[in-house]
Amino acid sequence: MSNEINEKKAILFSDTPPDAEQEKRFKAFLHEKYGQDTDLIWEKSDAFPGGFRLEVDEEIYDWSVNGRFQQLNETLVRVPGKNGNTIPLMKEALEAWMPQAMAQEVGQVLTVGDGIATVSGVQNAAYGEILLFPSGVKGMVQDLREDEAGCILFGGTEQICEGSTVKRTGRMAGIPVGDEFIGRVVNALGEPVDGKGEIHSEGYRLIENPAPGIIDRQPVNTPLETGILAIDSMFPIGRGQRELIIGDRQTGKTAIAVDTILNQKGKGVLCIYVAIGQKASSIAQLVQNLKTRGAMEYTTVVNASASDPAPLQYIAPYAGCALGEYFMSKGRDVLIVYDDLSKHAIAYRALSLLLERAPGREAYPGDVFYLHSRLLERSAHLSDEKGGGSMTALPIVETQAGDVSAYIPTNIISITDGQIFLESDLFFSGQRPAVNVGLSVSRVGGDAQTKAMKKAAGAIRLDLAQYREMEVFTQFASDLDDATKKQLTYGQGLMQVLRQEQNKPYKQQEQVIILVVVLNHLLQDVPINGIRAVLGALLQHFHEQHAEIAERIDADGLLSDDCREQILSIAKEYLQGR
Amino acid sequence: MMTGKIVQVSGSVVDVVFEKGKLPKIKEALAVELEHKKRVMEVAQHIGGSVVRCIMLSESEGLYRGMEVVADGHNIRVPVGEATLGRMFNVLGEPIDGGEPIGGQTERWDIHREAPRFDEQSPAVEILETGIKVIDLLEPYPKGGKIGLFGGAGVGKTVLIQELIHNVAMEHGGYSIFTGVGERSREGNDLWKEMRESGVMDKTALVFGQMNEAPGVRMRVALSGLTMAEYFRDRENKDVLLFIDNIFRFVQAGSEVSTLLGRMPSAVGYQPTLAEEMGALQERITSTKNGSVTSVQAVYVPADDLTDPAPATTFSHLDATTVLSRKIAEQGIYPAVDPLDSTSRILEASILGEEHYHIARTVQETLQKYSALQDIIAILGMEELSSEDKLIVGRARRIQRFLAQPTHVAEKFTGIPGVYVPLKETLRSFKAIISGEMDGYPEAAFYNVGTIDDVIQKAEKIKAGEL
Repeated sequence: MSNEINEKKAILFSDTPPDAEQEKRFKAFLHEKYGQDTDLIWEKSDAFPGGFRLEVDEEIYDWSVNGRFQQLNETLVRVPGKNGNTIPLMKEALEAWMPQAMAQEVGQVLTVGDGIATVSGVQNAAYGEILLFPSGVKGMVQDLREDEAGCILFGGTEQICEGSTVKRTGRMAGIPVGDEFIGRVVNALGEPVDGKGEIHSEGYRLIENPAPGIIDRQPVNTPLETGILAIDSMFPIGRGQRELIIGDRQTGKTAIAVDTILNQKGKGVLCIYVAIGQKASSIAQLVQNLKTRGAMEYTTVVNASASDPAPLQYIAPYAGCALGEYFMSKGRDVLIVYDDLSKHAIAYRALSLLLERAPGREAYPGDVFYLHSRLLERSAHLSDEKGGGSMTALPIVETQAGDVSAYIPTNIISITDGQIFLESDLFFSGQRPAVNVGLSVSRVGGDAQTKAMKKAAGAIRLDLAQYREMEVFTQFASDLDDATKKQLTYGQGLMQVLRQEQNKPYKQQEQVIILVVVLNHLLQDVPINGIRAVLGALLQHFHEQHAEIAERIDADGLLSDDCREQILSIAKEYLQGR
Repeated sequence: MMTGKIVQVSGSVVDVVFEKGKLPKIKEALAVELEHKKRVMEVAQHIGGSVVRCIMLSESEGLYRGMEVVADGHNIRVPVGEATLGRMFNVLGEPIDGGEPIGGQTERWDIHREAPRFDEQSPAVEILETGIKVIDLLEPYPKGGKIGLFGGAGVGKTVLIQELIHNVAMEHGGYSIFTGVGERSREGNDLWKEMRESGVMDKTALVFGQMNEAPGVRMRVALSGLTMAEYFRDRENKDVLLFIDNIFRFVQAGSEVSTLLGRMPSAVGYQPTLAEEMGALQERITSTKNGSVTSVQAVYVPADDLTDPAPATTFSHLDATTVLSRKIAEQGIYPAVDPLDSTSRILEASILGEEHYHIARTVQETLQKYSALQDIIAILGMEELSSEDKLIVGRARRIQRFLAQPTHVAEKFTGIPGVYVPLKETLRSFKAIISGEMDGYPEAAFYNVGTIDDVIQKAEKIKAGEL
């Protein structure tokens, strides 16, 4: 870097030359601003009637009518809007507004292509700041070098060419946030894309925010009910937990996330669905599905579809997360789905390679772990001093040929508090949801289960794991002893019970009843194929004849021994009478 | 005091120009003020032209060219001694538990220190009882030794390390330092709460630089924790327990900044200096004639690949290695220790005694034979085996199940209370299995219990139809 100070040169454009007094004032201003003597050169220009434009290196002071008009415009844009009360706020802003001789720092595009631009000038631009390119395209500073800045562009590059002017915004990358975002579909910059008009925001939140610290958190202790028996009983999810949904394509990953969103109806949980690199048509279908089932009332969809540039796909989860944090900081419970992070990693890999950062394993850059860890760590259950809000994350990752030990899957498994592993073999054999019991785990959810559920579920997971091992071990054996045979039919029965159709959530108390009945071997004598029908009828019987039991479990979240006995005796009676 | 100016920012790496001839030394800490908050960076290289290349110890967002940077001539220094006990720190030694700041008169040590000299080394030769059957029997931990827990994602490294804290640190009576390197903040919160509830917090210091923090933090936080442990070893001649979860993140953070520092990437994209960085850290974690450091380090195995350069480099620094396997976890056997892959330097008759050694080796042999027979069983079925082999398979399956043990830490998930099995009981139990005494009991009775007496009890329950 050259340490010696550059000779400054100021050029003044106006229609008449400045008089001696004006020139003295300009020189005094320049001296104060730049602390050195500056040459002032006047050039005639008709472009600024009733004003002037002063250019000092890369800084421009625009005191033309147009320039002042633009300043007013920018002031008005910043007026926070909420229905009805905009006009007094505008008045206030207008009264407070005074045209200022502000420097506007600009730069010039040096190179542009592949969604990346390098810019000269903008000397004071900060790392992570948003720059404004011609035609309104925004870019984020990702690299500051001695005489140029590297930006990733959040829009098409068609309008940008070498020499285009770039303006600083002075703002770090962020998105507008507010309650009006609920029920809307937006892009990664927070702009509505559902054709329902503008969204009035209540604030602006940076997309990169530090995660809550260690003492700002509290343990996960409230369940987030998915309504899916296999998950709620064995891999329970708590509010503030991060639970990965992982599996090959077409194994029902998104279905689990969507079912979970649908099941939050009336439970006071706001949902955010972030779609990364997906077909726009599938997202439209998903939104339609949420709408018809009344789930859009509490859901926001952030969409960066496959056709959006990689930088937009890269920031989409952070933007969704920032919106979630806004709600969480107000003490609310949020569920956020990232669908899916493998595509996010691929978008980031594209960007990194284009920014000429060295590739590592599978050509991903070295910081691909940090990419996801800093995102997922922002989900938390905040301490009561911080309002007690929570953000539960359900990231989704797609595996290839069931390989959970690939790079990105293991990275994310090591970040989350557990994973639900879906297997295509199970899926196609009709075991849906296709949860692999051996490889799935939930590290914290146990604390969040209701006492009733915990008591009812007992050791179902370990029973199933042992059954699976036994099944493999005995698959060629002909003469099995009775104990082994019993264990095998019991296990097969359990697998049947865990099958559940899409959009058919069980209530907590129903799950408790099912588990008590099944885990006490009451269905041992029912033929395997008939188990689900019998179980459905049994639930119906409980619902019609013994609704008080479900109410009791629901009321205090407990399963007393007495209640358990009651369930067992009703079930026994019913099954005998069948 | 020297001041410089930022000239370049690229991710976590920042270049700062100083006046000619007045450059801060490598490893010195520099400070920059942004929005009234001090941010720290550490000098990594002098790259010529009076420019130093630094690694940020916080995020880079908001930095711009021309910002003023101050060098006060010190490395990063952390408080040491009694004042650290009962507290929780970040990488810079600042308390993050919301309590009082550490007083100015508290002694502070540089986090970059020399490893103890050759003539100060003190090799480990005594067994440290952990109460975990599979560890005590097959890969006993040495007192004052270095222990590694290897495992891929989600096979139970953190649960095992917490169980060791529960069983060892709480019985140990000495000081413990826990260093969280690049792991989950939630776990930090859980650990902090648990330690305070169990009353061992006043003998423990916690240091955290978790996975949401910048790579520079994750690269240095292991040193911050280690420095606190070294003080107790060198100055107060104490026996210290040092837990590090997870040492792999230290390597990983180094690789995140390596290419930004202008180094060529080495195998699988790691930094060319991997072995050297690991060596410099590991050689400091050692027992000397003054005092001992028993360290338990979790080592994440990326993509379940034990030949990955990071875990492969770590292996040679350890006295005992516990390898956790996904295949075993899948069978519901926890702790998912691979009994054939895990090793210990002190598994020798001269250290453990003839009986322990004999039982351990026989158990390994039985398991090894079963694993060799497994392919035959898969193709032909059990019926085709000789009666001798059938006996071995039966015993091996009983041993496998018996190696599972309910842990205190997992109690809240499983609802099964954890058990501590003393070494004496472990030896007695396995002796009974390999001698054939237990051949008549059903396999299921061996699963997830404490001692052999529990097996007999469970078998009776199964017989009575209670389970």
